[in-house]
Amino acid sequence: MKQDTPPADEDALAEEGPFVDPSVRHVEIVPLGDVDGVAISVVAANLQAIMGLPADLLPAVPVPDFALIPSRRQYNALPVLGMLEEGASGDALRLGVMSGDLCLPIFSYVLGEAQVQGRAAVISIHRLKGNQDGTAAAPARVYERLAKVALHETAHVLGLTHCREEGCLMRFSLGAEHIDELSMAFCPECKLRLFLARKKARPAT
Amino acid sequence: MGAFRILVVDDEEAMRESLGAWLQKAGHDVGLAPSGAAALEMLSQRPCDLALVDIKMPGMDGHELLKRIREDYPRVMVVMITAYGSIESAVESMKQGATDYLLKPFDPEHLMLLIEKLVKQKGLMDEYHIMQARLAEWDAGGFEDLLGRSHSMRTVFAHIEEVAQTDTPVLISGETGTGKELVARAIHARSLRTYGPFIAVNCGAVPENLLESELFGHERGAFTGAVKTRLGRLEMANQGTLFLDEVGEIGLPMQVNLLRALEEKRFMRLGGQHEVTSDFRLICATHRDLAELVEDGLIRSDFFYRINVISIMVPPLREREEDIPLLAHHFLHHFAHEMNKPVEGIAPEALRLIEDYDWPGNVRELRNVIERAVVVNRSGTIKAEDLTFLRPREETVPFEGTLEQVEARHIEKTLQNCGWNISEASRILGIHRGTLARRMKKFGLGRSS
Repeated sequence: MKQDTPPADEDALAEEGPFVDPSVRHVEIVPLGDVDGVAISVVAANLQAIMGLPADLLPAVPVPDFALIPSRRQYNALPVLGMLEEGASGDALRLGVMSGDLCLPIFSYVLGEAQVQGRAAVISIHRLKGNQDGTAAAPARVYERLAKVALHETAHVLGLTHCREEGCLMRFSLGAEHIDELSMAFCPECKLRLFLARKKARPAT
Repeated sequence: MGAFRILVVDDEEAMRESLGAWLQKAGHDVGLAPSGAAALEMLSQRPCDLALVDIKMPGMDGHELLKRIREDYPRVMVVMITAYGSIESAVESMKQGATDYLLKPFDPEHLMLLIEKLVKQKGLMDEYHIMQARLAEWDAGGFEDLLGRSHSMRTVFAHIEEVAQTDTPVLISGETGTGKELVARAIHARSLRTYGPFIAVNCGAVPENLLESELFGHERGAFTGAVKTRLGRLEMANQGTLFLDEVGEIGLPMQVNLLRALEEKRFMRLGGQHEVTSDFRLICATHRDLAELVEDGLIRSDFFYRINVISIMVPPLREREEDIPLLAHHFLHHFAHEMNKPVEGIAPEALRLIEDYDWPGNVRELRNVIERAVVVNRSGTIKAEDLTFLRPREETVPFEGTLEQVEARHIEKTLQNCGWNISEASRILGIHRGTLARRMKKFGLGRSS
């Protein structure tokens, strides 16, 4: 009988391949509009390896027009989340990935947005491509940033809030370049909370 | 960054919800209000640390709400939110007492840095208020007056240490002036609630009809003259200690209301529609025999058992004579320092006078006597002539007789000393007026007896 244990260490994963626990929720990744396929694969691989969440890649869907705020040339994250939530199946979480610039009515921009303890999250690659000095970031750096934002927002969907621990993925980032200072890992406390939160709801008996 | 209780006030649902969700992700406790009136209603149920208020709202706008918050909840920080192009309005808010303002849409990191700054600011303000309260305690004599080397006082100190770490209700009994409030403050100071408030209410000093409002607070308009919402003492004691002095003076109807509030730590303000909660530790004090008041039907037994879980008896000064010189010298140094007078000691004959006195007013009386002696003293040493108003205690003549005869004689003696003032005599005897009247009738005592 398999017991509930934290994710296996890296050596074990290398030997046996990632173990997919059927009792945990899975993530459906939805490309919104024209999104780099490598970016989607990087997000899926990291959700599986770092959070132990099985990830399904779904076909791309257009970014909903009703989310566009023409005067700001940005997409309002709230209707996008609503659309993603409606389409999620069973216990699955749904993560949208898009190229367009995301915002909230109150905020000038967001790198990603999530429903805390909900079903959906959305992230954008738009602001991750540049550096503070105006230069373009290397593609590998952009993918790494995107993966970190995806992990951060998905953890919000599982109920985690921001963390004060230096380097933890749940620490609030002051812009794209601050993401580079985060490690590709959760602090021990957030890791434990994630482990407890990622389980599927038990069917009523 | 510590968590804040934040109230978001905006009539636009999208703005309100998105800001609220973002603040929740940051770990804050968030309330959402769609209007100024709804915000005031929520504040009346549970005050917040910070209110984020949109200036432009139908009905009560942000400026009016800011004014009301400044009046009724001066400790709540208010950050105004306004659209680009209406910066004059934001500047006006700052003049009205807003903590800061934001022009929307703003960068998320801007908001995070602002809240981080306000959390630090609140921490400093809280520390300041605690220090102010501590200084006020020191000015009022602090814990220093709770002195004693006698066995009975050592027992009191041991009890204080034992009960301080628990949250159990404590009943402190003892004659007037023995230092019951100092014992309560000492328990609070040694408890885990030491950084919370110590809220004292003298139930005997507040008229019965005002006590309810004093304890439970009231809403604006709850009665004539209630011009603004006022927190009651129970609510003010949240996270701290509530000290009800002279608890035996509380009338029966109030005991019923209070009992429920003490048991559930939930109650409604006068004129309120919603219950508020308050987490406090209860300490009561009395100079009367509450068990006897229960027998007389003046104290409800359930109320008595609720407040009397652990009891501490503070002995009268005459029963701890060895503490008298210690206290006298302590007060002498305290007042000499306070009045900047070079009074350095107490002459032996004056000290004998002090030791021989009965001290019916206990430590408070001793404190007052020494204060008066320091004021009038010109020689630098307290002498017998500085204490002419002290009358040595009468020699006790052994009296033989039955217990009833001893009781009758003691009551008669007390009544004579009080000029047959029944209220005063019952206070000194520690019994209710009705009880004293019954005993007087039983023993046939009267002015002519």
